[in-house]
Amino acid sequence: MSQEPAPDRARARAKFRRTLVRVLAVQAIALLALALLQLRYDV
Amino acid sequence: MHWINWVVVILYVTYVIVDGIRKSKGTDSLSGFFQANRSLPWWVVGLSVMATQLSAITMIGTPGQGATDGIRFVQFYFGLPIAMVILGVTLVPFLHGSGVYTAYEYLERRFDARTRSLTAFLFLLSRGMSAGTIIAAPGVVLSAIFGIPLLWAVVLIGVPTVLYTMIGGVQAVAWADVKQMFLIVFALLAIVVVLILQMPVGADEALRIAGATGRLQAFDFSFDLSETYTFWGGVIGGTFLMLSYFGTDQSQVQRYLAARSVDEARSSLLMSAYWKIPLQALVLMIGVGIFVYYQFVQPPLLFNPAHEQAVVAERGAQYGDLQQRYDEAFTLRSSAAITVADTPDGTAGAAAMEDFLAREAEIQGIRGEALAMAEEVTGEASRDVNYIVPRFALAELPIGLAGLFIAGVLAAAMSSISSELNSLATTSVIDFYRRWVRDDATDAHYLIVSKGATAFWGLFACVVATYAATLGSLIEVVNRFGSFFYGSILGVFLLAMMPAARGRGSFYGLITGMALVGAVNFGAPQVAFLWHNVIGAVTVVVVGLLLSAGQGPETPETAAAADAAGTG
Repeated sequence: MSQEPAPDRARARAKFRRTLVRVLAVQAIALLALALLQLRYDV
Repeated sequence: MHWINWVVVILYVTYVIVDGIRKSKGTDSLSGFFQANRSLPWWVVGLSVMATQLSAITMIGTPGQGATDGIRFVQFYFGLPIAMVILGVTLVPFLHGSGVYTAYEYLERRFDARTRSLTAFLFLLSRGMSAGTIIAAPGVVLSAIFGIPLLWAVVLIGVPTVLYTMIGGVQAVAWADVKQMFLIVFALLAIVVVLILQMPVGADEALRIAGATGRLQAFDFSFDLSETYTFWGGVIGGTFLMLSYFGTDQSQVQRYLAARSVDEARSSLLMSAYWKIPLQALVLMIGVGIFVYYQFVQPPLLFNPAHEQAVVAERGAQYGDLQQRYDEAFTLRSSAAITVADTPDGTAGAAAMEDFLAREAEIQGIRGEALAMAEEVTGEASRDVNYIVPRFALAELPIGLAGLFIAGVLAAAMSSISSELNSLATTSVIDFYRRWVRDDATDAHYLIVSKGATAFWGLFACVVATYAATLGSLIEVVNRFGSFFYGSILGVFLLAMMPAARGRGSFYGLITGMALVGAVNFGAPQVAFLWHNVIGAVTVVVVGLLLSAGQGPETPETAAAADAAGTG
C-alpha cells in the first residue's frame, strides 16, 4: 500500500479530498433539508 | 395476494438463483470464492456494502417507525459519513494492503493467535445468531400476512440465498446485492409515488399534520445518555458503532477486500457516506407519509392480521366494542385533520390543531388497548409497527407493483443474509479450519470446506429463524452480549494501528473493555447502547497501551509498524 509512486499517491490524496468535500456537501444539504422541515412544521 | 404478484415474487427468486450460478465463473479458487480475485469495481462493492447494511428490517420496520415515532431515528446514522471518511484513511489501507482474507487474520500478524481467535469467535457467535434474526423478522411478517407457516417463509428467504452464496461466493453475493439494491430503491420509490398520487391533501397540509404530532423532529440536541436517538448520541456513539461495523465486522470488511485496489475500496465506502442519511430519511418519510394518509383513509385497528384473527376468535365481543369506538373516533379525527388542513395558521388554526391532537390521542389510546389485548391473547410482543408498510403496500400498490414490493422485502433480507453467510464461512475456514485444523491442504479442498461451511451456517440461520419465537430470549441475550464487544473489537483494531501496542496489551485490553461494557450494561442500564461502543473502544485502547508499555517488538508486523512510525 505504501509502495505506490509519489505522484500517484498525491493524485489519490487529491481525489480523496475532492470526494470528501462532495460527501460533506451532500450531508450538509440533507441535514439542512431536515432542519428546515423541523423548523417549519414541528410544533 | 393477487396471482400476478406471486408470479413477480417467483420470477425474482428464480432470477436470483440463476444469476448467482452465472456469476460463479472464476470462483474455483479460495481467492475467487472469498475475494472475487480482487476484481470488483468500486460501485459494485459500494452497492454491496449498502445492501448488506440494509436488511428487511429497514424495509418494513423503519418506515413503520417513521409512521409511529417520526423521523428522529435518522440521527442514529449521523456518525456514518464521519466513520467512512476515517476508515478510508486508516483501516481500509491497512486491511486491503495486507492481503488478508479476514480482518481477524490481520490481528495475528500484528499481535498473536489468541487475539485473532477470540475476535473471530465473537464474530461467529454474534453474526450466526443475527443471520437467524434477519431471516426471522421478515419471515414472521410474511407468514402472518399471507397466513402461511413460518417455516415456508423461512425456506422462501433462506434456501435461494444459501444456494447462490454457496455456488458463487462473494462474487455472486456482490453482484446479486447490486440488483437487489436497485429493486429495493425501486420498491421504495413506488410507495413514494403512490403516496403522492393518493394523498387526499397537499404536501404543505400533510407536513403540517405530521409536524403537529411531533413526527418531523429530526434533531434532538439534548446531551442525554439515556436517550438512544439524539444528535450527540448519533454523532459520537454512532461514529464508534459505524467504525466498528464497517471497519472490523467481517460481513462488511469482506466487501471491500474484494475491491480492485485500496482506492476503489475507499470509494466504495464513500458511496454509503453519500447516500445513507438521505436514503434513511426517505425511508422514514415514507412512514410519516403513510401516517398522514391514514388520517383520511381508515387503517385496520391491528395491522398484524394473525393477531387480529386471534383476538377476534378469543375475545370477539370485547374486540367488537373496541372496533366500534375506533370507527367513531376515526371519523372524528379525520374531520379534525381536514379542518387542520383547511384552516390557515392563527387562532382558528391553533384551535383546530388542539382538537386534532385530542382526537389523535384518543385513537392512540384505543390502539393501545387493542395491542394490549393482542399481547394477552397471543402471549407475544405485538410488534404491530412491522406490519404497517406491508399492509399499506398490498392494499394500495397496483397489481404487479405490490408483488415487486414483496420481492423488495425478500431482496433486502437476502442481500444481508448472503453477506453474513459468506463472511461466516470465510471466518470459519480461514480463522479456524485452516489456522487450527489443517493448514496444508489444496485450494480445492478448502473450497469444498468453504461451501460446506456456507451450507452449515445457512442451515443454522434457518433453524434459528424457525424457532425465533421460542428462542426469543436467547437471541436477545446474544444480541445484548454483542453490544458488549462491538466497541471493544474496534479498540483492538485501533491498537493494531498504534506502533506501541503489543499482543498481551491488546488481548487483555479486549477482555477489560468487554467486562467494563458488561458492567455498565447491568450497573447503569439507562446508558443507551450507542455509548457502549465509545466506552468499549476507549477502554481497550487505554488498557492495551498501558499493558504494552515498555515491551519490545514481538512480531514482524509490530516491528514494521514501529519502523513506519520511526519508533522501532
